[in-house]
Amino acid sequence: MLRTVSALTLGLMLGIGHAHAAAGDDVLDIVAPFEINGTDPSTAGDLFLKMGVAETLVGADEAGKPIPALAASWELSDDGKVWRFKLRSNAIFHDGTPLTAEAVVAALTVARGKPGILNKAPIETIAADGNDVVIRLSEPFAPLLAFLAQNTTAILALAAYDDKGRVTQVIGTGPFRISLLQAPQKMTVERFDGYWGEKPSIRAASYLAVGRGETRALMAESGDADYVFNLDPASRTRLSRSSKVSVLSVSIPRSILLKVNAGDPLLKDARARQALSLAVDREGIAAAILRYPAAANQLFPPSVASWHNANVPPLTYDPAKAKALLADLGWKPGSDGVLAKDGQRFALTLVTYPDRPELPLVAAVLQEQLKEVGVAITINSTNSSEIPAKHQDGTLQMGLAARNFALVPDPIGTMLQDYPPQGGDWGSMNWSNAEFDQAIKDLSNISDTAQGQPLRDKAVSILQSELPVIPIAWYQQTAAVSKKLENVRLDPFERNFGIASMRWAQ
Amino acid sequence: MTRTLGYRLFQALLVALTVGVLTFIMVRALPGDMAYRIAAGRYGYDMVNTDAANAVRTELGLDRGGAAALGQWFWDLVRFDLGVSVVSGEPVIDEVRHQLGHTVELALAAVLMSLLIGPPLGILAGLRPGGAIDRGLLLVSSTLRALPHFVVGLLLIIVLATGMGILPAAGHGEPQNLILPALTLALGLAAVSSRVARDAMAGVVSSPYYAFGRTKGLSEAQVFLRHGLRNVSVPIVTYLGVQFIYLIEGVVVVETLFAWPGIGHALVHAIFARDVPVIQGTALVMGLMFVLLNALVDLACYLIDPRRQTA
Amino acid sequence: MTTIAVNSSSSVLEQKRISVGRFIGFTILAFIVLFAFLTPLVWPVDPTKQSLRNVLAGPSWSEPLGYDHLGRSMLARLAAALRLSLGLAFLSVLTAAVPGVLLGILAAWKGGIVDRALSILGDVSLALPGLLLVLMLTAIAPDSPWALYVGISLVLWIEYFRLTRATTRTLITSPAVQASRLLGFGPAYIVRRHLWPEISPMILTVGAFGAATAIMAIAALGFVSVGVRPPTPELGLMMTELLPYYEEAPHALLQPIVVVFLLVLSLNLIAGRKAR
Repeated sequence: MLRTVSALTLGLMLGIGHAHAAAGDDVLDIVAPFEINGTDPSTAGDLFLKMGVAETLVGADEAGKPIPALAASWELSDDGKVWRFKLRSNAIFHDGTPLTAEAVVAALTVARGKPGILNKAPIETIAADGNDVVIRLSEPFAPLLAFLAQNTTAILALAAYDDKGRVTQVIGTGPFRISLLQAPQKMTVERFDGYWGEKPSIRAASYLAVGRGETRALMAESGDADYVFNLDPASRTRLSRSSKVSVLSVSIPRSILLKVNAGDPLLKDARARQALSLAVDREGIAAAILRYPAAANQLFPPSVASWHNANVPPLTYDPAKAKALLADLGWKPGSDGVLAKDGQRFALTLVTYPDRPELPLVAAVLQEQLKEVGVAITINSTNSSEIPAKHQDGTLQMGLAARNFALVPDPIGTMLQDYPPQGGDWGSMNWSNAEFDQAIKDLSNISDTAQGQPLRDKAVSILQSELPVIPIAWYQQTAAVSKKLENVRLDPFERNFGIASMRWAQ
Repeated sequence: MTRTLGYRLFQALLVALTVGVLTFIMVRALPGDMAYRIAAGRYGYDMVNTDAANAVRTELGLDRGGAAALGQWFWDLVRFDLGVSVVSGEPVIDEVRHQLGHTVELALAAVLMSLLIGPPLGILAGLRPGGAIDRGLLLVSSTLRALPHFVVGLLLIIVLATGMGILPAAGHGEPQNLILPALTLALGLAAVSSRVARDAMAGVVSSPYYAFGRTKGLSEAQVFLRHGLRNVSVPIVTYLGVQFIYLIEGVVVVETLFAWPGIGHALVHAIFARDVPVIQGTALVMGLMFVLLNALVDLACYLIDPRRQTA
Repeated sequence: MTTIAVNSSSSVLEQKRISVGRFIGFTILAFIVLFAFLTPLVWPVDPTKQSLRNVLAGPSWSEPLGYDHLGRSMLARLAAALRLSLGLAFLSVLTAAVPGVLLGILAAWKGGIVDRALSILGDVSLALPGLLLVLMLTAIAPDSPWALYVGISLVLWIEYFRLTRATTRTLITSPAVQASRLLGFGPAYIVRRHLWPEISPMILTVGAFGAATAIMAIAALGFVSVGVRPPTPELGLMMTELLPYYEEAPHALLQPIVVVFLLVLSLNLIAGRKAR
């Protein structure tokens, strides 16, 4: 027995002899925290899109503007209700079948029947007309193009679905096709020679989901991975000194925000919310936890130019003013240092989730900072779904979330979901403002950027003064990239890793 | 022997029953709305919302009664069907095979490595109790046992992967990916198994038959092979059997550190996402594996030393 | 914790000559316990109080062990985390040992159907994945140490049961016990006079190992973010939180590691050289 054992283990040990191939070969090794939740675009579409396996009808440029993808062009009827998309004639699926209008209609119909984004658009019918796809709306809806660029609307071949609309295998049209899919952690792809667009220079790539940030950083450092997505602040500092990798970062439309229940007796008055906002030292949080200039003095960062309003007075840190505001509202410090009024303490529960490791940290700092002005916070760090669940049953007081405003490349898609009258799961809660509601409603009918600008500025300034959510910090996406890799660009909308345009240094 | 195996079979049935009922009751006791949790597991924190939760509720029929769901599980189990994951939609048996397969691979490699490190050193120490090797080994094994796994793993990564660059830091797929996580676990195992072997060997060495073997003129190696090895093997095999199952549970830390897909990781995620079929399937397979392993240990001990009757 | 450790050590002293290892073990443990429980009296700093200016600052006169990544006092946090780990480990060992020993004696004493039933219960619980049990309990009661404690006790009790049952079974047939029974002494007397002296040193060994296992398990669960939640100081959690800063502030990361190391080492030494 011992002999077999030693033979086996020796065999294992000999593996050491071969210089470990992981990053030495011409396979591009990508590491990121996102797990592969299955084969369906509704659950794992983001990764199929990021890896260049699947494509959407409409794409997005670096500013989030719609650009042709599987649809070569499109036109809108005069009443704004009928969209006609002309498909690329030379696009083929990975199983060799051509891209047809029928396949697109089938894929979009399935996507619309599942949780995602398409079921939130006022779509009446999706139909094929020759080689065109025609989408009929019940009312004009400008963000439709952005919706069709979202990953849950990725187009798969007819053969990818079973008779119940479940995806059995991933057959996309992208520049890469899947050669191995091991949910939830691993996927390898290889170049697809029948791709309609420019042929990528990278021959093959592998994707590995690694949940632990330190492990990701170590993999970048040891050369096991060529492209490591999402670095924690401490690792970013360390890796930026490394000679083997370069650290890239880009400002992304994602913000840490404090969702407050404007229907709660403690938070009903806008002045109470303003006081909370004044008590938050955003610079301190950004410097200590996120370690980049991230203090959010309004909801959107300057990089989202159309939704950043440079003219609104920025949110500031002024605990003295916060105390004064609360005192105006009749709150007086109690014996335990917590404010009280009519026998009620200013005590709130804050719900957050650890999926993004910085959130519980930010929550802990907020707890301390709010304590300074006499507001007692209890942190409940739990599952992310508790925020929408508690929003629905009305028991949420505050939620700390990292909200992605690029669910679709145009932030209006997220705004429509999160800030409808009386609130949305991840945005305002029990808050309405007639002017704001009208502005958002009008925006969904205007596709021209310049024309919508006054409405957006108005909406942002209303949010800034009423504070149905309190912005805390803006995000930057960071990645460590091997110096052997050229032409790497971070997509601010996190839609694509950009493998197709990368190449190995000669 | 047949009696023992018969008892193991009976135990297997009881385990299946207990796992089914217990996990079922516990999952029902978990706080929060199941539909929301499943939706969060499926669609991620960016996309989870009430619409998604309601869609999940309708799709899975979460409103139906508990007894019906439990009955359905048992009925499916009788037909060897563990159901489908509510998160990924994959058959549970495939997920368990994939995840548990990786864990077993890791655990086996760790046990094999520890066998190469631990017992030989222990036997060496046990031959001369109180000697320099014995004392040195005690020091090393006490140190290793008191260090958390991830500290050992991290040190190994920093030295062997980022420092010397001879092994990959993390990941899976290539054979060399297995070495660091397995070594991390093996060091912890060897720390204990070397002590077990040392104590057993010290006992054997001090026994009359061993002394007699020496007196009758056998060389040190001959005495060890004829009288030592077989007697030392029983406690080591028993110990390894027990350790193997602890290992399968204990790997969760090593799995997360080395990005190794495995059952610990899968269980944590399944519980977060309220993936009841996966929880039940995993627990069932793990319980049955434990029973099987015990039966194998019984058998191995019987083969090594037929005199022993299992109690 | 201290008093019991001292009591059992003196009884051990009477029975056998105390080994050097055990003595060292008790000494280290005593120091750790003193550190954990005296620190809040001598150094009354709130372990959750942050000062973002001092993030990851090293040890100084005003703060002997430095600050963590949120500028919280490492000294106060270490002591608080130790109290939690020690308390949980002690409680789990106690709640595992009492029913384990009692059921073990009962099974061996009664024999027959009681023995069979209890043995089957033990075997089945052993086969239940302990990890699953602990994970589920911590999910049922998030952020409460009792879930950890119940989970660990449920896993630990079987060992006491099996050992006690095996020991009692051999003892009960011994001439001494037979004689006592014939003389009409009740079970309480027999347990006190014949069984306890044999079982108690074994329980000390298993208990010390059990406590070490519990402490490692709590730390490991903290490391995978199961169990106690921030900002509660917990040794495993502190390690995870400080891990990203291993290069910037190794002194901070090393502290919980060293403490766990010493604690587990002392318990292993107390348990004696004989490994399981």
